[in-house]
Amino acid sequence: MLVFSLAAAIGYTLAYYFNWSLLIYYPVVNELHLVRQGRADGFPIFYYGWVATAVVIGAVAACVTPRSWLKRLPLDLSWIVTIVMIVAALTYEKRWF
Amino acid sequence: MGDSLTTGLLILHSLMAVALLGAITHQAIAVKSGPDTGKKSFGARYRAVDPSAYRGAIVLLFVASSVIGASLYPTYRMIVRPVLELDNLRVANGTFELKEHFAALGLLMLPAYWAAWSRPLAPEHTAARMGLTWVLAAIVWWNFLVGDVLNNIKGLFH
Repeated sequence: MLVFSLAAAIGYTLAYYFNWSLLIYYPVVNELHLVRQGRADGFPIFYYGWVATAVVIGAVAACVTPRSWLKRLPLDLSWIVTIVMIVAALTYEKRWF
Repeated sequence: MGDSLTTGLLILHSLMAVALLGAITHQAIAVKSGPDTGKKSFGARYRAVDPSAYRGAIVLLFVASSVIGASLYPTYRMIVRPVLELDNLRVANGTFELKEHFAALGLLMLPAYWAAWSRPLAPEHTAARMGLTWVLAAIVWWNFLVGDVLNNIKGLFH
């Protein structure tokens, strides 16, 4: 669970920084796509795709991380990494302020 | 999504957020203070709860609130955001972008939060429980306040 949370939080941040969106939703036409569509479909929403990307990254990391590593990872990393990711989000979104 | 369904979901989203805010705040204060000290003041009684009892409710409310929020997001993008852009309310737009990111990060940290609060509570995870709970509480407070202000933004800025 710790590995999932760590990898998924980092994965989510990378996903929106580099726009790695597993899915793209077009609300105007109510359609979900794997690749970007033309302008006729209206504006895209990447948010669901970023979360999906993060979940996949977290799940893969949780599956491939050796058990011996898990005991060495302190649970404190989970909230420390989340704070770092929050700072990354604040930095990324400072363009609005 | 129909208008009445959107309104219903928005009210449900708000009610869940209020319940989540209460639960996480209670837990965050109790985890800092520890068990009952025998004092009878309101503050002492507020703190004198078993913080681990909130784990399930907090996870459930966070997930449910996030799912409902995500289902309302397209409506926000199509109806509310254009108004914010027209009125040049960039800060409001930015605070909502942060709300989105914080909601996702909070959701993704829930498995670690769940593990930290698993019974029997491991003494070596005391600091992690406090850190996770406080970070989650900060996310919930931010998202609640931003959601509330944006919900009332027409009244506040027009």
